[in-house]
Amino acid sequence: MIRSTFFGIACLVATSAVADTPKFDVHKSIVRITTTAQEPDYRVPWNPGSISTGIGAGFVIDGNRILTNAHVVSNGRFISVQRENDPRQYSGQVKFIAHDCDLAIVTVSDPNFFKTMQPLHLGPLPTIQSDVDVYGYPIGGERLSVTQGIVSRIDFESYSHSGADSHLAVQIDAAINPGNSGGPVLQNGKVVGIAFQGYSGDVAQNVGFMIPTPVIQRFLADIESGHYNRYVDLSIVPESLTNAAARQALGLPDDDTGVLVSSVESDACAAGKLEPGDVLLSIDGHRIISDQTVELDGENVDLAEVIERKLKGDKVKIDLLRNHQRLNVEIELEPNNSYLIQANIFDEYPRFVMFGGLVFQPVSKNLLEAFQIEDLRVRYFYNNFINDEIFKDHPQVILLSNILPDPVNAYLSEFRYQIVDEINGHKIRTLADVANAFDETSDFYTIKFVGASRPAVLQRTAVEEAKERIKDNYGVRLERNLGEETLR
Amino acid sequence: MRFLVFFQASLFFAVSAIAAENPSPSPAGTPAAEARPSAAPKEHLATELRGGSVLRVNSTNQSYDFFRPWSKKAPSNRRGLGAVIDGGEVLVTAELVWDSNFIELEKPDTGERATAKVAVVDYETNLALLKPNNPDFLKDLQPLDTSVAPKVGDHLSVVQLESNGTPVSTEALLTSAEVGHYVLDDYSYLLFKMSCPLQYRDNSFTLPIVEDHHLISMLLRYDPRSQTIEAISTPVIQHFLKEADHQPYQGFPSFGLSFSTTRDPQFRHYEKLSDSEGGIYVDDVEPDSPAAQADIQTGDILLSVGGKSVDPDGDYDDPLYGRLSITHFITTLSYSGQKVPVTLSRHGERKDVVVSLFHKPPQDYVIDPYVIGRPPRYLILGGLVFEELSRQYLREWGPSWQREAPQRFVYFDHYQADLFPKERKIVFLSQILPNNDTIGYPQLNYMAVERVNGQPIYRLEDLAKAMEKPVNGFHKIEFDLDPKVIYLDATKVQENAAALQKTYSLPAMRRF
Repeated sequence: MIRSTFFGIACLVATSAVADTPKFDVHKSIVRITTTAQEPDYRVPWNPGSISTGIGAGFVIDGNRILTNAHVVSNGRFISVQRENDPRQYSGQVKFIAHDCDLAIVTVSDPNFFKTMQPLHLGPLPTIQSDVDVYGYPIGGERLSVTQGIVSRIDFESYSHSGADSHLAVQIDAAINPGNSGGPVLQNGKVVGIAFQGYSGDVAQNVGFMIPTPVIQRFLADIESGHYNRYVDLSIVPESLTNAAARQALGLPDDDTGVLVSSVESDACAAGKLEPGDVLLSIDGHRIISDQTVELDGENVDLAEVIERKLKGDKVKIDLLRNHQRLNVEIELEPNNSYLIQANIFDEYPRFVMFGGLVFQPVSKNLLEAFQIEDLRVRYFYNNFINDEIFKDHPQVILLSNILPDPVNAYLSEFRYQIVDEINGHKIRTLADVANAFDETSDFYTIKFVGASRPAVLQRTAVEEAKERIKDNYGVRLERNLGEETLR
Repeated sequence: MRFLVFFQASLFFAVSAIAAENPSPSPAGTPAAEARPSAAPKEHLATELRGGSVLRVNSTNQSYDFFRPWSKKAPSNRRGLGAVIDGGEVLVTAELVWDSNFIELEKPDTGERATAKVAVVDYETNLALLKPNNPDFLKDLQPLDTSVAPKVGDHLSVVQLESNGTPVSTEALLTSAEVGHYVLDDYSYLLFKMSCPLQYRDNSFTLPIVEDHHLISMLLRYDPRSQTIEAISTPVIQHFLKEADHQPYQGFPSFGLSFSTTRDPQFRHYEKLSDSEGGIYVDDVEPDSPAAQADIQTGDILLSVGGKSVDPDGDYDDPLYGRLSITHFITTLSYSGQKVPVTLSRHGERKDVVVSLFHKPPQDYVIDPYVIGRPPRYLILGGLVFEELSRQYLREWGPSWQREAPQRFVYFDHYQADLFPKERKIVFLSQILPNNDTIGYPQLNYMAVERVNGQPIYRLEDLAKAMEKPVNGFHKIEFDLDPKVIYLDATKVQENAAALQKTYSLPAMRRF
């Protein structure tokens, strides 16, 4: 796998002149953002985490708002915003943050801050081979840096901030360097993107990515509700219908139209509306081409792009064939929740319950990476959470993630990394179930794990006797965090 | 601790025995080794073996390529030493001769050679008996006796041959005897560990280990860094030879259960077990296994097996080797066909049952733990290559197959008893050979087949049968993963079959 890293773009080539770019003063729009972040350690979930400082860029848009990348301000405890040619530092607050598309809105409460600032305006999707200017604060100096690149490619790209989302992204032929993430990419005086990620090391040269305006505009429209609702998703798996036998078997004409629904996620918005085996013919009036594309604005784009532009609660109209019958369905779109197990978590303290030195945590990307868990069943549950519908029995996959050694749990080490199924006969579906089961008074607490018949047994008297000892020994600040309070 | 279920990782860096297929210089005799006088080789001429009880065994092996199940891999040579035993047979490790095309015995003193065939082989305990095609070949050789088992602390001799045929023995100290991993995952038996500074010599894929005129052991692995040997133990060899006398060979028995220890006092209180008693907790019982037939159930506490009381760690007191896992008593000291009395505790009540032992052959598992000495089964339909899932297939991903092979299949294999309680096989699409019938389909692989033309598929025969009944002229193949359905034009597939076979030079379109 190629590892992407964030942060801005550095110019290596500036070949063609930029005569057609009108003169304007970008210094009045761009800001330098310094974030002091506290990243929790999932191995010690009761600790507040290590403190680090990062630098990124942002720019002012209408409504006295600063637009930047989510990863520039994630886990931020203190955000300082600086203008060009102004010695002062202003305290910034994150107003909205969208981890799925790596965008955030920051505001500054000081009323004087925006007085001399000029908001930038969003432009269109740039054309391939056109020149763009990239602004930011990449490593190599303190001052604003300007670089130029050419638009190389426009395609769906994985957004590495969440690690689980793909959206439209624009590739430019400039390398990315840490420091100017969130910086504007300008063409003809308008913002055509926000620099956000590139490749690290020797993977590729002169490849940088920016978030294009359709994604930015969608984000700005989403937060108009006063809350960021996330991307919506049909949560189906369509398959191309380009094989002749497949088309004939389904009784379809040889017209390159239609895709086959392979799977429909049962807890998502298309459940009950679409079924496996349906042949989707058109979406919102756009003919669906058999290779899973539609024609939008004169270009063939991925079928998903139609949904990508929509907001929570929007509807989509689909014409389909089911058992050779033509049907029209209308689906109210909702965000998908199941896939979040594979997305990085930000801005919250790790959730856990500690009991008798046993630490229980829901499986997440952060948790697996922190512990480097290789256990086959845990990995399988994580990777097949959606296609095996593991979420039905385990909306949260609760893991015995750690054991703080103490006489009370001396013989339980073999249960580490097992998935909790039941505690005292109660099915465990979420971390709250774990907390509730341990809150019940019982002489014995029997913990059953998935696929194991022998339970782990804790005697209440032994747990009570060990309680303060374990807290003292291991500096356990609190014994549970069920995630009721978030940082934002 | 759970036993039998988890795979045991090999303790050694050395892949197999000293010299696998490609001989390389041995690090023995490096300055580091010389600096420690105690580890200096104690070699002497093995005069007791002058009569010729040890033979060179050269085998040409060629295993099937499970990625291309219609063909075999490149042949390789393995060369080891075999021990002549009573009955005109030569004992070697099974690994030396598995999937062999050609076996040759060579007398070390005269260089006289004879071809041989495998008379009995047990891949699980890694033992094989070879018989020369000419029965007179072994006539003037002195067979080694196998009736004596050594004690821990005994000094044994590892036999090697000089290139001129002179037997040389190196002293080995038997340091421990415990149940451990042999050569196939999941198969563990009593293992001898020895410390021994062995030199590299030809024909060392396996070596006999003797004490006076008694064959004690066969070498499994040698780690030159720690100068330690892991070797097949005498009781396992004795069991194998005893059973080999009775055809058909049945194999080492098992109970067909996995167990956990019961050391934890809180667990013992919960289960109302007294502190003086031992006992192991039955985690899982394989359906139709000897344990299942004797009505041993999950949650039972086994207190004694064959009159031997079992302690909370699952050990019993062996007269020869002290505390040993009870699995040694079941698999090696007991025989298929025997009845073993078991005392257990169920919900606090004592119960006596009798377990009739038998061996479960690899074919009886949903996912065969090994496919050796027999070809993989496959069927090709319209360029789609179907096979039955086996651990042998997964092993094609190399030594770290558990990490490298398709995770879903590794999971299926590991938890097969839970996931597939019914007797069946997993038929899967291993690859697509692109052709006109598959245009438009992506390059698919590693997907389990659920139904073909509406018929459930539990083995390749089901697939062959379902193929005969296309629906409206099309084969509908359903998988467990996306894309869940693939269609093929039945007529075109039939018309194109010969061309496909020719294009990809396939010797046959199926093998059952």
